[in-house]
Amino acid sequence: MTSEASIANQIESGIVEEHNEEANSKFGFWVFLLSESVIFLSFFAGYIVYKTTSTDWLPAGVEGLDTRDPAINTVVLISSSFVIYVAERFLHDKRLWGFRFFLLATMLMGSYFLYGQAVEWRGLEFGLTSGLYGATFYLLTGFHGLHVMTGVLLQTIMFFRSFIPGNYDKSSFGVDATSLFWHFVDVIWIILYGLIYVWQ
Amino acid sequence: MKMRLIVTLVGATILMTLASLWMGQQAYTWFPPQASAESELIDDLFSFLTALGTFIFLGVAGTLGYSVLFSRAGRYDYSDGPPIEGNITLEIVWTAIPFALVIWIAAYSYQVYEQMDVRGPMEMVHLHMPATMEAAYAEPMDDSLPDSLPDSPTAGLPSARIAVQAKQWAWIFHYPGENGQDITSTELHLPVDHRIKLELTSDDVLHGLYIPAFRLKQDIIPNKTIDFEFTPTRIGTYRLRDSQYSGTYFAAMQADVVVESPQAYQSWLADAANRAPSPAYNRAAFEYNRAAEQTIVRGWETIPPAPPPIVNFAPKQAPDSPPV
Amino acid sequence: MANLSVEALDGNRAQPYPGAPDNWKRFFSFSTDHKVIGIQYIVTSFIFFLVGGLFAMIIRGELITPEANLVDRTIYNAMFTMHGSVMLFLWTFPVLVGLANYLVPLMIGARDMAFPRLNAAAFWMVPVVGVLMMGSFFVPGGPSQSGWWAYPPVSLQNPTGNLINGQVLWLLAVAISGVSSIMGAVNFVTTIFKMRAPGMTFFRMPAFVWTVLAAQLIQLFGLPALTAGAVMLLLDIVAGTSFFRPENGGNPVLYQHFFWFYSHPAVYVIVLPVFGIFSELFPVYARKPLFGYRVVAVSSLIITGLSGIVWVHHMYASGTPGWMRMLFMFTTMSISVPTGIKVFAWVATAFGGKLRLDTPMLFAMAGVVNFVFAGITGIMLGSVPVDIHVNNTYFVVGHFHYVVYGTVVFGIYAAIYHWFPKMTGRMYYEGLGKVHFWLTWLGTTLNFLPMHPAGLMGMPRRVASYDPEFAFWNVLASLGGFLLGLSTLPFILNMVSSWIQGEKAGNNPWRAIGLEWLISSPPPVENFEHLPIVIAEPYGYGKDEPLVSNLAELAESPG
Repeated sequence: MTSEASIANQIESGIVEEHNEEANSKFGFWVFLLSESVIFLSFFAGYIVYKTTSTDWLPAGVEGLDTRDPAINTVVLISSSFVIYVAERFLHDKRLWGFRFFLLATMLMGSYFLYGQAVEWRGLEFGLTSGLYGATFYLLTGFHGLHVMTGVLLQTIMFFRSFIPGNYDKSSFGVDATSLFWHFVDVIWIILYGLIYVWQ
Repeated sequence: MKMRLIVTLVGATILMTLASLWMGQQAYTWFPPQASAESELIDDLFSFLTALGTFIFLGVAGTLGYSVLFSRAGRYDYSDGPPIEGNITLEIVWTAIPFALVIWIAAYSYQVYEQMDVRGPMEMVHLHMPATMEAAYAEPMDDSLPDSLPDSPTAGLPSARIAVQAKQWAWIFHYPGENGQDITSTELHLPVDHRIKLELTSDDVLHGLYIPAFRLKQDIIPNKTIDFEFTPTRIGTYRLRDSQYSGTYFAAMQADVVVESPQAYQSWLADAANRAPSPAYNRAAFEYNRAAEQTIVRGWETIPPAPPPIVNFAPKQAPDSPPV
Repeated sequence: MANLSVEALDGNRAQPYPGAPDNWKRFFSFSTDHKVIGIQYIVTSFIFFLVGGLFAMIIRGELITPEANLVDRTIYNAMFTMHGSVMLFLWTFPVLVGLANYLVPLMIGARDMAFPRLNAAAFWMVPVVGVLMMGSFFVPGGPSQSGWWAYPPVSLQNPTGNLINGQVLWLLAVAISGVSSIMGAVNFVTTIFKMRAPGMTFFRMPAFVWTVLAAQLIQLFGLPALTAGAVMLLLDIVAGTSFFRPENGGNPVLYQHFFWFYSHPAVYVIVLPVFGIFSELFPVYARKPLFGYRVVAVSSLIITGLSGIVWVHHMYASGTPGWMRMLFMFTTMSISVPTGIKVFAWVATAFGGKLRLDTPMLFAMAGVVNFVFAGITGIMLGSVPVDIHVNNTYFVVGHFHYVVYGTVVFGIYAAIYHWFPKMTGRMYYEGLGKVHFWLTWLGTTLNFLPMHPAGLMGMPRRVASYDPEFAFWNVLASLGGFLLGLSTLPFILNMVSSWIQGEKAGNNPWRAIGLEWLISSPPPVENFEHLPIVIAEPYGYGKDEPLVSNLAELAESPG
């Protein structure tokens, strides 16, 4: 057997076979998130085109958006990214109660964000059909909100699965993916916040 | 042996060149008559592309055909061919030559586009596009593109400005008359060798103004006014078709374009101005109002066509009337 | 490795071992075997190919005379809309995903795709898409009649006023098809990056795998843009927004950007795997290595990159600014360089080889010639001044049918014939195959060549009636269309009867070089008992070198 082949044999028995499933899933999830980000990029592009070309952008009687409450919301959401990271570290060290505590904290922060978003929506004097401004605002925040909701849902599942004995012993892919997704949702929000609230 | 190969290759190249040049000439016959200044430029470009394309096609298909004829495996020959994996020189050549060719084609196309621009239509198109662009392009439109250029065939002639209204499914042409009169017609009359300025508008959906004999086409976008310019150069009657799919009676949305001498055009306009507006024949409305007896299978519900347009002038023989 | 063999016997992977009685029921189950899924894709999409073809023949029947006298105009409009939608979303996309599904794991020496269950789920969405598309014929107002582009404002017009209408169902179908495609794309990219057998470096992968990778990358960056546009269009129809409604300040041209940002690259999603098929077949039937393999492989990725920056060439007449037209003319034309490299490589592969004109090679060679023709008309269309004349005419219809039929369908037929013995273990009937080829070639030429002169004369596409001056070319095209319908009969006969009672083909009837040809036909579940250890580049024809170092181990049948 050639040396190349024997090295390859080692690779085969060691890496290619057993451990690959998790690495594949992680890789696949990254690929998926990159693709998903293009939807947001498309919406952002559409928003920029509308905002820069539309003749009457703001609906009649609308001054613009209040930035204070959304800013608090933003801080909460972005900090939650750090909190879920801490949760991940606890899981890595096999300290399940710490993991549960910080994951729960993330879930609460995510839920607070959704609550804040709902309060803001209720207080606005324009709706989905109020011209391009209303349509793009609700489209962007709504589509992002759906992602936040998905993230919280995933976290809930991960939270309850931590009570299954030995669930995360072999693989923590579910938690890693949830965490990655949460960071993704955060990054999208930062761009979105810049586009909608800062650039008025 | 080598000599024979070279002779064969040179011979084949000469034959292919002749065939390509012949095809390039043939290309002119595939078009409708050249009825605008722009059409000559486009036909020349197309002829050039046809000749070039024929040469490439013959080269590729000929080489493959040669292989089929002379490189077949014998019935019981199960041996392999020579293990040639590539040839760097050849690969560089067939990357560089197409690259040079497309640069050439693109540059030539660009040049034609620029010339068409000078003679008329294209650059106008986006003037009334999104608001921001309007500001950027509005000035050049009025100043840097005078109606007549010294080297253009339209030098010194006045221009005609006509508003084109497209709707589901009718074309209506508005001519400015004296005292602000709006002279309307369902047939587009144009003076020959004059710069024509059209203002394109749509009432409902996207339409496309397409006059094959002029080789010109422009989508019409609702809520926008699009300026479109060109110069008809040949007297005759041509077809105007909707080129952007606009719904049920899309195919029926046609009109005639009559290019006539300036005198004939003026007298037609004066005559039209004196006529009382009356409903014109409209094929979409005609078909819609008739029960579906003509067709074997009944259709689905459709957006109803606009009522027949009420215009000063409508052709006596409706251009798109059903066959008698 | 023993534990893997146990896993291989999982119930839902019920593919029989070679020699076991063929269990046809597995093709109707939620199987996670990539080979079963591949065949499921191919057969399902072929059924929709016939449906789309039926629509096409109704279209050609209407166009055989200048007047609109066969069907009502609304029906004609529904026909061309559904013809395009079915052929793209239910035939060319899924059939090529099916071929890739079957071949990629075998070619890279993997036991399955990276995510087998995701793979099965992606497949089972295709019938759902089909049901939605076909179901739209039965809602009030009929199916979508706005063309497969669904350009607003026409697609926003809703004559019946119903919320559930053809256009909404169409959008749902396209969205589900998009989800399925993204799932497939994630799976393919992961499989190709992470599941290659030992020694299978990137530059030892067959060209087909390269093209599948290139195509699936396009899906990943392109489809989301279409999804974004489709979501906005759907909201315009059902929620009263006005993204694309001009009367409320919306911008219908923006939709065209979203649409073509994906739908032009989508053409490359379709045609790239077909390029891969040509690259696989030419070496086998010419008995020579693929000429310039590495360049051919890399050129696929160059096409992927360029495909993302050419979309505006569909919109030269849409009211785009001049600078945009010029920019996109240059990018569009530059795509011909990497595609030219491929064409020349195929020709050079055949040149001086030992050609054997079996049915797959006939289809492949004719496909290349058709593609060269389509490429030339494509360059013409890329030139802005020419396009101003022929945009939205039958010239365009002729051009892209030379791509999607003359090239893609020819390539698919070539692939099906070539790998048929591998998939079924049996050989097709060569005589019927040749009859099928000549009928298809004649039908294609007669149908699509006359569209070019009709377009140059100024016949717009999507018309139900036309001026009599175009009648001659349309009669020819219609006859060709009916001939193409006829041409599927010998193919179906061939496939069905040879699958049932064809001659046993053996493992490698073409004496081809490639991992899939080293194992039994049809391959066992999990493909390889021992993973192959690859030690050579593909296409080692005439070189007499082994492809793998453990040949003897591969063929062992599991105990």
